[in-house]
Amino acid sequence: MSLVNLAHVCSHMQNASKARLGLTSIPVSKLHVNLMLGLQKEGFISSVTLGSTTPPKPILLQSQPAPELLEAMADKLESEPWNAYPTPEGAKPPLGGENVYAVAVPENPAKRRLWLGLKYWNNEPVLKHMQLVSKPTRRIWLTSEDLGKITRTRQSSFVKGLTRPGECMFLTTDRGVLEARECVERRIGGMALCRVWG
Amino acid sequence: MSVCRPARCLFSKGSTTALPKPSSPSSHLRPFSTTPSRPARKRRPHYPSIKASELNLLNTAATSQFPNYTTNETDLLAKRYTPSQIAAIKAAEAAIDPRDILTQGQVRTDPWRLPYKSDLSQIDPVTDHADKLSHHDLPKNRSFRKTNESERDAAITQVANETLAKLYPDGVPEGQLNPTQEKQLQQAMEAALTQAVLDPRATYTSKDPATVATLADPRHSIVLPSLPRLDNKMAKQTRRLADEEQEDPRQKQLLQYLGWDKQNLRGIRTKTLVVHGVTNQTRMGKIRSMYYLTIAGNGDGLLGVGEGKSVEPEEGRKQSVVAAIRSMRPIPRYENRTIYGDLERKVGATKVQLYSRPPGFGLRVQHLIFELARAAGLQDLAARTPRSRNKMNVIKATWEALCNQRLPDEIARARGKKLVDVRKVYYGGSVH
Repeated sequence: MSLVNLAHVCSHMQNASKARLGLTSIPVSKLHVNLMLGLQKEGFISSVTLGSTTPPKPILLQSQPAPELLEAMADKLESEPWNAYPTPEGAKPPLGGENVYAVAVPENPAKRRLWLGLKYWNNEPVLKHMQLVSKPTRRIWLTSEDLGKITRTRQSSFVKGLTRPGECMFLTTDRGVLEARECVERRIGGMALCRVWG
Repeated sequence: MSVCRPARCLFSKGSTTALPKPSSPSSHLRPFSTTPSRPARKRRPHYPSIKASELNLLNTAATSQFPNYTTNETDLLAKRYTPSQIAAIKAAEAAIDPRDILTQGQVRTDPWRLPYKSDLSQIDPVTDHADKLSHHDLPKNRSFRKTNESERDAAITQVANETLAKLYPDGVPEGQLNPTQEKQLQQAMEAALTQAVLDPRATYTSKDPATVATLADPRHSIVLPSLPRLDNKMAKQTRRLADEEQEDPRQKQLLQYLGWDKQNLRGIRTKTLVVHGVTNQTRMGKIRSMYYLTIAGNGDGLLGVGEGKSVEPEEGRKQSVVAAIRSMRPIPRYENRTIYGDLERKVGATKVQLYSRPPGFGLRVQHLIFELARAAGLQDLAARTPRSRNKMNVIKATWEALCNQRLPDEIARARGKKLVDVRKVYYGGSVH
C-alpha cells in the first residue's frame, strides 16, 4: 500500500478546487474510497460516485419523480407527519420507494474512476488544502493519547496540532478510515494519512 | 576648581594653608564642588510677600464687604434653620476666607446674572433644577387669551419696569452719569426689555389677576435654564470656537464618505508606520516625493491601512491618514481578544503567520504587527515572519490575514455541520 497515490490525490484535490471544478475524478482504491467517504461525512465534498471514465449524470439530469407525485407526498406528510420516520426493514415505505439512479460501472477495474463532487461556499472552496502527514518513506502512527493532544492544538509525536479553524486529520485504523476526533472519542490510534482544511 | 591645584591643598585644612578661605566660617573643609552650599543659594518665596500695611487694608476691605454674622443675624437664622443646618452654615462660613472671595472671586453685576449664587462648576439639583409646578397645581380651571397690540405694549412696559426696579432697588439714577454708569444703565434697560418680551405675560392675558400671577410665576415656566458647562479641565482647555476651527475639505469629504460626524473620528487612532522618500526619474530630472503608510483603528475591532505619496510631505501624510480611515474594515476577534485559529498570508516575498493565544499571553509579535494588533484591539497574539520582512508588505499581509479570517460558523455552514459553542457552558460561564 503505497502512499504515493494518496499524495497525488491530495495534490489533485487542491488543484481542482483552485480551478473551481464542480466534479473531479480520482483513481479507485479501497483506501481512496474510504478516505473520500470520510471527507464526505465531514462535509468537505458533496458526492462520491463510482463510475467509468465518463462522468456520471449530474443530479439535475437524472430522472426526477413527477411533480404530481411530489405534491401527493407533501400532502400526505402534512396530514401524517410521522411517515417521515424510517420504516422497519422489509416493510413497504409509505411515501413511495427511493429513486435510485444506477450508474454503469465497467467490468474492467482499470477503467473505473471515483467521481467526487467538490463544494464551494461564499465563492470559496470548502476544501482548499489537503496535505499528507505520513509520507511514503516515513509512516507516522499515532496513539489515542497523541491524538488527544493534537486535537487540542498541541504538538505530539512530531505532528503539529490542528490549530487552523475547521482543520481535520484522517487516520487509517483497524476500524477503517476515521477522523482524528472520532479516534479520540473511540480511544483508538492508527496511521495518520492526511490533514485537510479550508 | 582648577585641576592644577594639588590634592594636598584640596584635603588640607583651610587654616593651615595660604589659600583663600571658604565663604562660610563654620566649615573648615574646602568644598569639593563649585556649586554654592544650600544656605548660600538665594531662596525665593513661592509667592510675593505682602506688606503688613497692605494686608491690613485687605483685611478691612474683606470684613467690611463680607462681614461675619452678628448675634442678631444668628438669632434670626436660628428661627429659620435647624441646629444642624446652623452648624453647617457656620462650618461653611469658617471654611471660606473672605479675603479669598475678595481677591479671587468675581461677583456678577450684569443684568443677565443668575438669580442665585453659583460658580457653575457643578449642577446643583435644588437650585439648577428648581421645583416646577404643573397645571394640576392650579386651584381651578383658568382661562386666558392672547394679547392684542396695546395690551402687549402695556404688559411689556410693566414687566420691564418691574425688572428695572429689581436691578435698581433705590430707583433709576438720574442726572449726570459717568460713562460706566451710563453703559450699565443702557445694558440694564436692554436686558429688561428683552426679558419683558420673552415673558409670558406679554403674549397672554386674562381678566383674572390670579391667572396673570400664575403666568408670572417662574415655577410654571417650562423653560429650564440649561447651563453651558464643561465637565473637565481638559475639555475647557481644548475648547475652540466654531469660527476658529479650520474646515479641512479632505476631512469633510471623508466624513461624508463614512457617514460619520466629527465626534466619531475622535475615537480613531492613526499611526504612520513607514516613511521614506521615493524618486521618479523623468527627462526633466529626478522628482523626489515622500511615501507614507499609515494604519488606523478604533481599538475595538476596526482596522485600516492607507498609503499616501506626495512631493509635499504633509500632503502625503494626510493622504495616507485619510486612506487608512477610509479603508477601515471589521476584524473578527475571538472573545474580543485574539484571532480565530491560525492565519497565514503571503504578499510578495513576505509571509506572515499569526497564531491565536490564550488569555493573558499578550502581544508577543514584532513591532509592526504589534501596532496593527493594538489598533484592532487584539490582546493575545503570536506571529512569525519567516521570509522577507519588508515593512510595507508585512503590514499589508497582516491586515489582509486579519480581515479575511474564516469564522467557525461559516465553516460549519459550508460543511453542513451543526456548531455549538460549549466553552462558556461550564463553571457558570465564568470562563475568560
